[in-house]
Amino acid sequence: MARKDYLDKYPRNPAKTLWVLKPVGKVLRMLGKTIIHRPVTILYPYEKMWMPENYRGRPGLRFDRCVACGMCVKMCPTACIKLVETESDSGEKVRRPQVNIGRCAMCGYCAEYCPVDAMTVTPDFELSEYTREDLIYGPKRLVYEGITEKMEIHLEQTLMSDVKNGNPERRVSPFMTDRPVLEAAKCISCKKCEKVCPVKAVTMVEHGVNDKGRPILYPEFNDDTCICCMNCVEDCPKDALHINEVL
Amino acid sequence: MMSRDVIDIKAEASAINTDKMWVIMGPQHPFSHGLWTLKAQLDGEIVTDAEPIIGYLHRGWEKECENRTYPKIIPMADRLCYAASMTYTHLYCMTVEKALGIDIPDKAKYMRIMADEICRIQSHLMWLAAVGTDLGNLTVFLWAMREREFFMDINVRLCGARMTTNFPRIGGVRNDIDEEFMMYTSRCVERFEKAVWDIISLIDDSSIFVSRMKGTGYLTRETCVNLGITGPAMRGNGVDFDIRRDDPYDNYDKVDFEVPVLNDGDSYSRYMVRIEELFQSCKIIKQTLQKIKAIGKNAPYRLKVPSKVPAGRAFARLEDPRGESMMYLVSDGTDKPYRLKVRSPIFVNVSASKPLVQGSRIADVPAIMAMIDMCLGETDR
Repeated sequence: MARKDYLDKYPRNPAKTLWVLKPVGKVLRMLGKTIIHRPVTILYPYEKMWMPENYRGRPGLRFDRCVACGMCVKMCPTACIKLVETESDSGEKVRRPQVNIGRCAMCGYCAEYCPVDAMTVTPDFELSEYTREDLIYGPKRLVYEGITEKMEIHLEQTLMSDVKNGNPERRVSPFMTDRPVLEAAKCISCKKCEKVCPVKAVTMVEHGVNDKGRPILYPEFNDDTCICCMNCVEDCPKDALHINEVL
Repeated sequence: MMSRDVIDIKAEASAINTDKMWVIMGPQHPFSHGLWTLKAQLDGEIVTDAEPIIGYLHRGWEKECENRTYPKIIPMADRLCYAASMTYTHLYCMTVEKALGIDIPDKAKYMRIMADEICRIQSHLMWLAAVGTDLGNLTVFLWAMREREFFMDINVRLCGARMTTNFPRIGGVRNDIDEEFMMYTSRCVERFEKAVWDIISLIDDSSIFVSRMKGTGYLTRETCVNLGITGPAMRGNGVDFDIRRDDPYDNYDKVDFEVPVLNDGDSYSRYMVRIEELFQSCKIIKQTLQKIKAIGKNAPYRLKVPSKVPAGRAFARLEDPRGESMMYLVSDGTDKPYRLKVRSPIFVNVSASKPLVQGSRIADVPAIMAMIDMCLGETDR
């Protein structure tokens, strides 16, 4: 086999040439190098390592922004997020995510798929507690002081049709493009989609009466407020709704 | 079974007839990097037979994937191997993209191979640290870990996590990179190319290290190919094959690099292949950074993909730091895979432990097996 150029930089017969003096010289050189070098390690509890703002520690929550759509619950790979009832500042009962940090894999999916950027990643990684119950972070405890814009993760995607049409710089998130579509033949006017919609984007519109004289109601979706959380699609008892994926 | 051209280097069996003795090394043993057992049959000091036992870390990974939607498997693929999380995530995303039949943007391809090479460097440095401890040289361990820390910092800047990176996505990558990251990475790589010579001179000039490496753990080309060994362990035996070059995926054909191959077939040549791969990875990272810069800031890096994969089968393979890993996906048209099979390189490479250690002294077993670079997360799955 032909001799390789990249092997030229290694010493030939490395162990044999000047077998005592060479290592001693190298050790002395390394000693000098190490003495003038500042230490690599830090005194951890007293000094902290620098962390970039996008460091994926525990999830953080912006209480006011959250709309309780449950997207984080659906996307969590370890199923550690649950929506629980809590009281907001104004005293009304709202549902907000609760995270079991003991099971959290710190993958950042909840922040990535949050349609309203209420869930974020935080650089908080010192999470040890004395009991397992303490590891369950309720909505109030999940709020992280000082959330910056870099801690939000945006789902920026390019549509395949945009790339084909020569417009590859447009970035969208699925919450802006994907919308639920109704198959009217399957709908039984149960109004469940209206109830589960977290942003009140569904209105039931009357389309005449049926044989028994009851009104036929079909949902209509407000495209501006819909965040594509798929709650209506999942809760529909007759599978009359599906998401139209724009690709 | 094996032809031994180099039998004189191996120690000769003792003339005194003694009983053969089985020594069980593992599952908790300083030589086994992870949970596995090597049963070695000894005749005096010479190993006459060996048998690896794996399966202590079986988690049912493949079965668990069948109950998850496609994006949710990406963080799981991270946890297949702690040192090569980037390549396994890349492999999984590549398999699903093949099933979907989509072509991802150029920028995402370059970012993926850059991330892969960062992962390869830090994986090889982890291996170097382990070799150092196996041979009782703790300085190597500390210095290799020190260099590895720089690449961990690159990982943090890239995607926010040090080890379980969760960076590639189906249809592209998780996030874009900025100028600051590119500057930091190129500085780190340039620094590393000089700093790695400290480690090389520490171990390569040490006659203890070299004499424990040279002439131990011989494998011939034929045995190596018959056993299906892949990766640096194969290239140290003179088999010239690398998927990055011979079956290029994700723009590896557009970067210029060389595949180190050495013909000696002993532990030392396997060590040299890995050391040279560090330099070649640095070369690839520098080129990809330039290409990403040339592509531009606003170029697409992530495509929107359908959540359901059409029914069919897909198969992809790539060059892991440890060898050739493959994934085979069977989809039934829903948003969850029907079956996801993983072929991990170490699962096959560990089968070579018998021909590797046969005939060598028991004291050399840690040094020989360290050249396989065991990782049990992917082996047992």
